[in-house]
Amino acid sequence: MTAVPVPFRPRPSSRPAATAPARTERSDGSAPEWTAAPSSSPQSPPLPMDGRREIARSFEACVLPEVAVLLRVAGSLTEQPCDAEDLVQETLLRAYRAIDRFDGAHPRAWLLTILRHAAASRARRRRPETLSDLDPAATAAADRASVAGAGPEEVVLTRQFDATVARALQRLPERMRRVVELVDLDQLSYAEAASALGVPPGTVMSRLHRGRRRMRAELAAAGVAPTGTR
Amino acid sequence: MTVRRWWPRRWGRPPPGPATCAEAQRALQAYLDGALLAADGDRIRGHLEQCRRCGMEAAVYRELKAALARRAPAPDPATVRRLERFGEALARRGSIGSA
Repeated sequence: MTAVPVPFRPRPSSRPAATAPARTERSDGSAPEWTAAPSSSPQSPPLPMDGRREIARSFEACVLPEVAVLLRVAGSLTEQPCDAEDLVQETLLRAYRAIDRFDGAHPRAWLLTILRHAAASRARRRRPETLSDLDPAATAAADRASVAGAGPEEVVLTRQFDATVARALQRLPERMRRVVELVDLDQLSYAEAASALGVPPGTVMSRLHRGRRRMRAELAAAGVAPTGTR
Repeated sequence: MTVRRWWPRRWGRPPPGPATCAEAQRALQAYLDGALLAADGDRIRGHLEQCRRCGMEAAVYRELKAALARRAPAPDPATVRRLERFGEALARRGSIGSA
């Protein structure tokens, strides 16, 4: 992937502190709307119009295209799908507050770092949830994806293989499992996964490779893959 | 996708010519992740095409990666849209201020 070239000059201070837009639930139960909350505060003088436009442009160019990736990664980091949206929302807010310090070079890695910090503060605020068992919805989705266009025997074999992979993934130590999820489920690069976890890329690489080797050994033990060469 | 070099220094400089089985096994996962420099990737690919055992090992890891990718739940489009609207509202407020 390529970094989005965004003409952006960092601004020194004097920007209104961002507060979350107010969320208004619709009475008919449809998707809630976001509306901007009043932004001016007595403490912060308003920005010149050009500066505000520039910040808005940078935010829209760098941050908004990454929302889907952030949501996927948040899902991997939180375990509880319902927390992922809140975590991404907090990430967007933190990104908006910090965008004048962003150099525009690697928006995704920058956002993943912010996401990690937001997740860490949330984890400090409450006890982490216990590991959930296999997610039935994800398993069903995998079944649907894998059966499309395949014969009955292939469907059975693919299901066995996928079920073994799912079990092997759940049995990995958490540190390895997180890396495997970020790279193989969320499709992050080593460097992006490193930003999301706050570890060096070499650590991502070694955890990922060891994790996959363990999973590969389980596939062989379960008889759904040939015995490995090492 | 930019091809980066993830060949650890402790492995030493890759020798010229086709990769050996040991090299291929060491670099297989980085190769499948597209994380090797083009020249290193070519050497590994050349070996995998010639060596049946290493080729089969590569096939197993490809299947493993594919099975993991199938497990990825697609982000809920409504949630994505809601978050985009939240971000747009933040940006808009930055650009137009309060009325």
